[in-house]
This record gives sequence, structure tokens and C-alpha cells, in this order.
Amino acid sequence: MRAVAAIALNTFREAIRDRILYLILAVAIALIAVSRFVSLLTVGSEVKIVKDLGLSAISVFGLLATVFVGVSLVSKEIERRTVFTLLAQPVRRWQFVCGKYAGLLLVLAASIAVTGAALLVAVALKGASPWGLVPAIALIFVELALVAAFAVLFSSFTNPILAAVGTAVTYVVGHLSWSFDLLEKRMPGAAGRVLCRVLHAVLPNLDRLNVKAEAVHDIALPAGYFGAAIAYGVFYSLAVIVIASLVFERREFV
Amino acid sequence: MRTLTAAGLLAAAVLGAGVARARIVHIEDERRGRKELLFLPNGKYLKAISLGHAPLVADGLYLWAIQYYSDYDQADRYRFVEHVFGDVIAELDPRYTDPYWLGAIILTTEAKDLEAGLRLLDEGFAKNPQEWILPYLAGWECDRVGQYARAAAYFDQAGRAPGAPPALFRLKAGMTALGGDLHEAIARWRDVLDDPRNDDAARAIATRQIRRLTVRADLRDLEGAIEAYRERNGHPPRRLEDLVRAGLLPSVPLDPDGHPYAYDSARGRVSSIADRVLG
Amino acid sequence: MEPVVELQGLRKAFRGHLGLGRSVAVDGLDLRVGRGEIFGLLGPNGAGKTTTLKMMLGLLRPDAGSVRLFGLPPESVAARARIGFLPENPYFYDYLTPVEFLDLYARLHGIPAAERKPRIEQAIARVGLAGRERTALRKLSKGLIQRLGLAQAIQHDPDLVILDEPMSGLDPVGRREVRDLILGMRDAGKTVFFSSHILQDAEMLCDRVAIVFRGRLRAVGKLDDLVSHDAKWIEVGVRGGVPADVPGETTTAPDGTVRIKVRDVAELTRVLAAVPSAGGEVLSVWSRRETLEDLFLREIGNARSEERPS
Repeated sequence: MRAVAAIALNTFREAIRDRILYLILAVAIALIAVSRFVSLLTVGSEVKIVKDLGLSAISVFGLLATVFVGVSLVSKEIERRTVFTLLAQPVRRWQFVCGKYAGLLLVLAASIAVTGAALLVAVALKGASPWGLVPAIALIFVELALVAAFAVLFSSFTNPILAAVGTAVTYVVGHLSWSFDLLEKRMPGAAGRVLCRVLHAVLPNLDRLNVKAEAVHDIALPAGYFGAAIAYGVFYSLAVIVIASLVFERREFV
Repeated sequence: MRTLTAAGLLAAAVLGAGVARARIVHIEDERRGRKELLFLPNGKYLKAISLGHAPLVADGLYLWAIQYYSDYDQADRYRFVEHVFGDVIAELDPRYTDPYWLGAIILTTEAKDLEAGLRLLDEGFAKNPQEWILPYLAGWECDRVGQYARAAAYFDQAGRAPGAPPALFRLKAGMTALGGDLHEAIARWRDVLDDPRNDDAARAIATRQIRRLTVRADLRDLEGAIEAYRERNGHPPRRLEDLVRAGLLPSVPLDPDGHPYAYDSARGRVSSIADRVLG
Repeated sequence: MEPVVELQGLRKAFRGHLGLGRSVAVDGLDLRVGRGEIFGLLGPNGAGKTTTLKMMLGLLRPDAGSVRLFGLPPESVAARARIGFLPENPYFYDYLTPVEFLDLYARLHGIPAAERKPRIEQAIARVGLAGRERTALRKLSKGLIQRLGLAQAIQHDPDLVILDEPMSGLDPVGRREVRDLILGMRDAGKTVFFSSHILQDAEMLCDRVAIVFRGRLRAVGKLDDLVSHDAKWIEVGVRGGVPADVPGETTTAPDGTVRIKVRDVAELTRVLAAVPSAGGEVLSVWSRRETLEDLFLREIGNARSEERPS
């Protein structure tokens, strides 16, 4: 465990000192600040614009941070060969992967905390209650933690560019998983229907972790939904990280 | 990491994810759909967000909408049809014509809201003046509910669109006739006859219709005059010329073949063989 | 006594580009390194040295054969806890400072917090980085980075230190320092295993060497045993009169000294006797022994001719 913690801390340090992260954070916060003025253009509920823009900004820029930091995590180490000395240490391969992931989660949590706080302040300044947004922000974190797991997985066996593409594709497919549900009903052949069903079940249902709509309109989530969503995210991420560890275990470093 | 531990962890994680997901799906099934529609933002907003991919987003939304509206289990599905098709999709991609007419059909046929359907078609045509199909459909919708004058106006509109087939003017004429203004209808059929774009078949139809309508118009005028005479004098006129003398008709019309109309003075009924020939 | 490092029948081949062809990097290597030895794995570039080292560390899996460090496979955490490693041309996290860098590796070795600070300071002092311990790595020169790498390799007091081309890219001062460091480790009872293609360093440091070429072991053993002690030739420096019938070649240096090459001691005795009669004086006598380089080139030459189709 101390190995995991040490690597996690180091990963966090690396990301914190990378200027890209600050750029992303700055843009996100700027967007939230600007939304206050954008809301002047609308008629009716002004705070809705701030909330919508804010949640989407947190989500999108959180995704950017995840992809940029996440894909370079392992790939960059391998390309730069810093991984050699690290793996010569009495560290197990799975500890390396978990440490990297934990570090990435720390970065993600910090980014979302900062941008989330900015949004809550912006909403409060508009005179509305910001607390309805908290569940949505929490689930954004869970969703991105799952995407981060995929970033680490791709990063463990391919170069940064392919890993980034793979992660982005996973994100898009994850948000379109509902279409497999619809396709299933229209597919002519039984094999096709089964395939759709399987894909819908197996692919990460990221759209189910998205409760921005409810949050913006201050509608309470149905009982048990929040817990089930978090559980889904946690277990799925765990599965992906286990696979990543196994992949990394078998890897050779030419 | 020992393979056994890894396999065990993986299995546990997959199981956990599966159970959680099943729970989520169960919760969702219990409160289907309502949330999706209410929160579709305004088209202008979506357009800004789509960052240059508005037409793609429009497609996506359209596909989703089709699926959504195909699902008859939904209660209260029609509340937002106009919003979805007219505000959102239309705003994202105003040149996308399919959503206009599909939305209109949903509105008129299923939601039984003619006015909303027509509004959608109007909006579509306003943004796409070359799509004669939209007022064409509007004309038919009006026809279905018997609003012939309006139908005629729509067919006229459709006919004027560039590239519209000339047949549309026939429809217009037909609708006008159905609308009851026979003289106007005759005039419209004459337009069709005069239009150089029309082929012989179209002109034959026009000729026939003019003939038919002329007869009907004449008969109607005659019947109207006879009725007025009957009211004044308590009995129908002995001859049609009496109507002229009474000042109820400018002259006695002849049928398109030049023959006088048959008049049964005992019962005060007027008829035409010309009409019956054409049938 | 159990060898610290034992390689048996090690083989590794790589698939070529797009899966076409195979190139054998290491072909049946057998090596044993005992405790307290400085062992040099020598060979030209592409001989398979780095591949061998990677297999020793578990970064690559051998196709055949085995690697044992302290009797354990390299995958074992217990084995890796006792070794220190410095790769060739190391590149470290450039956003860290030396202290943070060493702290990370200290943590990974499980050195308790109380001990960490003094050990890190000690290591920094030992490799001569004092005063720069808070500068970000990206700002340090290659030589300093190399030293930092060494610090990381030794700070946890490992029993076996594995170095891949430890002198590469260093200036003479740096090389001297690394040499002294390695000698110091041996004095402390550690075992040092390093690979190099710079033979002078090996000559100065190694107890035993192995020469590899194209993945195969060409020679292994104590330096003294491998290199013949017989003089190859003896050179006599003479000024003034040169004897007439000199058996070997003569060259004249710019300062007027004549250098005479003789084959053996018998010839040497004759020349030494003849010089005073010629009116000259003997300035120097120097015997040229076979160097490691000679051995190396000889082995390579043999290997090449073996491979040439007859």
C-alpha cells in the first residue's frame, strides 16, 4: 500500500506541475465566470444558463484533464524510460498501475473540487440555491473516474496518441449506449439483437451517470438512484483497473 | 498480482457493476421518459453548444424523436412535439425538411391538433421556400378536415414555389371548387388551360372540369333565382325567361353545348343533360 | 557460496518489423557472479548487453533459460529489494527536485520516514550533488543526472548494484568519480554488475569480465586469466647512439628519442648491451602487455570469421 501511495503522490505532483492542467482549469473557471454575463441575454430563468454552462464546463474540462493527464501516465513513462528504474524497485506491477490511477483520481478530484466550487459560488451569487447541483457534480466525478480507468487501461499497452483516441471513443460510445437499446428493437436478425443487447450491457453506460438535467431543475433523484449509480461507477472502474493491471503484468519493455 | 486474486476481483467487480446497473435500469423503467423531454433546451442554445455540429445534432435529435414518438406507451407524449420539431430541430438545422412534415403529421393525425401541424409546416416553408412539399401537405391536411378554401390557398402557395409541378394548380382549382366558390374555380381551371407548361392530358382534365363546373354554376344560379321567385310569387316561374323579366337573372344561361337547360315548371326544377353526359 | 547473479542458458529473440523475421538478441548465455565482485559485461553495441540486463531485472521475459538474483527470480519483490539499478542514459521525472526524487524511491524501498531524510542527505553528499538538491531535475546537467541516478541506486544500501553503461556521456572527472564510487562499493562488500563498451574502465575496475558478441558469450573469467601476461613487445627508448643491427622496428620521436621495438627479453638484453657501445643512453624500457582491447578485438575477429560462410 505504501508503494501505491508513493506512486499516487508522485503522479499527483507530476500533474500539478504540468501547465496543461492549469490552462484547463483556468478556462473552465473563466467560462463559469462568463456565464453570469451570458445569462443576461436570456429571458426568464437566468440562473439556469449558469447552471447548465457550469455543469457542462466541469464535465468537459474534467474530461480534457482526464484524457491529457491520464493517457500520458503510463505511456509517457514508457516512452521516456523512467519506468525502468521504477519497475526495478521492489514494487509489483499492479501497484504501479493502481498508484497511477489513484494519482489520476486525486488530480480529477482536485479539478472538480475547484471548478465545482466556482460554480456553486457563481450560482449562489445569482441568488439561487446551489446545493441541488452537488449530486450532479459528484456523479460527474464518478463518470470521469470510470473514463480515467479506461485511460489508464489504454495507456498501459499503447502510445499516448492511440490511448487518447481510445479513451475519447470510449467516452462517446459510453454516452450513446442507449442507442443500442433502440437498435435492438429494430434489428431484423436474432443474432443482431443479441449483439446489441450484449453491447448495451457491457459498454459503460455513461449516460446513466448523467443527472445534470435533474440537478439544474432542482428535481430530487429517485430513491436509490444515486447509490446505484455510484456503485456502478465504482465496480466498473475496479474491473477496468484489474484488467489494466493484468495487461501491464504481462508487458515487456523492449 | 496472482492470477487467481485478479480473476476473483474481476469477477466480483463485474458482478457488482451488473447488479448496480440492473438497479438503475429498474428505477428508470419506473419513471420513463418524462425527464427526457422536459429538459430539451431551446434550439438556439443547443446550436451554440454544438460547436459547429448543429446539423449532426439535429440528425441525432431527429432519430431520437422518431424512436420516442414511435413508443405508444408514453403518456402525454404530444405536449412537446411542436417544441421538439419546431423550436429545437428547426433551430439547429432549419433546412432539414423531414422533421417539419413528420412533426406535422404526428400533430395532425395523432394529436389531432391541426393548427399546430399547420404552424410547423408554415415555419418549414418560410425557412425553405423551395420545398413545395410542405404547403402541399398542409393543403391535404386542410382538405381532410374540409377546410377547402384554406387548402386551395396552400396549393396555390405550393404551386408558386420554384420547381413545383403544374399539377398543383389543378389541385388548387379543385379545392376551390370544393370550397364552393364555383366561379372562382372555373377561373382557376381556365388558368390551368392557359398554362403552357401543362400537357394535353392536363388540358383535357381542365376542359372537362370547366364544363362540369360551368353547368353546376349555371344550375346553382338558376336554382337560386327560382327560389327567390318562388318566395316572391308563391310559385315557380312558368319559364326561365320570367326570371330575367323579374330582374333575378341577367340572362338565361345556355349549357356548354349551347342548348337551353331543361326546366320542369311544375316542380320548379332545372337540370342539364350536358352534366349527365360527362357524369 | 551461492552466486549473487546466475544466468543459465538465457535466450531472447525479437520479432522483426511487422512480424517478419526474427533477430536473436541473446543466444544461450551462462554467467555467474559471486559476492563482492565487480563484474563487467562487455561487448560492442548491439551485442545484447542491455537485453541481458533487462532480463535480469524482469523488464523482459527470456524465451528460454533462467535468471536468479540471490537465488530468486527477478519478479520476486524480495530479490528486487536487494538490488539497485541505473539504466543507460537515464531520464528521470524532470519536474522533481533531487530530494523529492530520492524520497520517492526511498519510499518505494520501504525506508521508514525517520531514516529517509538522513539517508537522502548522505546519498546526495556521496554523489556530489550537495547544494543542488532543490533544483528541478530539468535544470541539471547530464552528469549531475547520472550522479543522481547512482544515488538512487545505492541509497537503500543494496547488496547488488546493476549499472548499464554507467560512464556514458560523462566527462573524465565524472568518470573518475563514478569509478571511485564503484570501487568504494566493492570495499563495502557489495557486488557490482555493469555493462560497458568502454574497455579502459573495465580494465581499471573489473575483477571478472564477460565478452559477448551477437548475443553469445565469447570469453568469461578473471581479467588476469584472460589477458596473457606475456609482453607483446618491449619498447626501449634510446638517445644518442643507436646500435646498428637492431632486430626490431625503430621510430624516431620529435624530440630526437629513438624507440626500438624488441620481441622478447632475449632481444632486449642484446639491445641493452649494444646501446652503450653505440654511444647512446637508454632512457626507458616499457613492456606492452596485451590489453583487454586486444583481447576484445581478437574475440570479435574470431567470432566474425566463424560466422563468415566458408
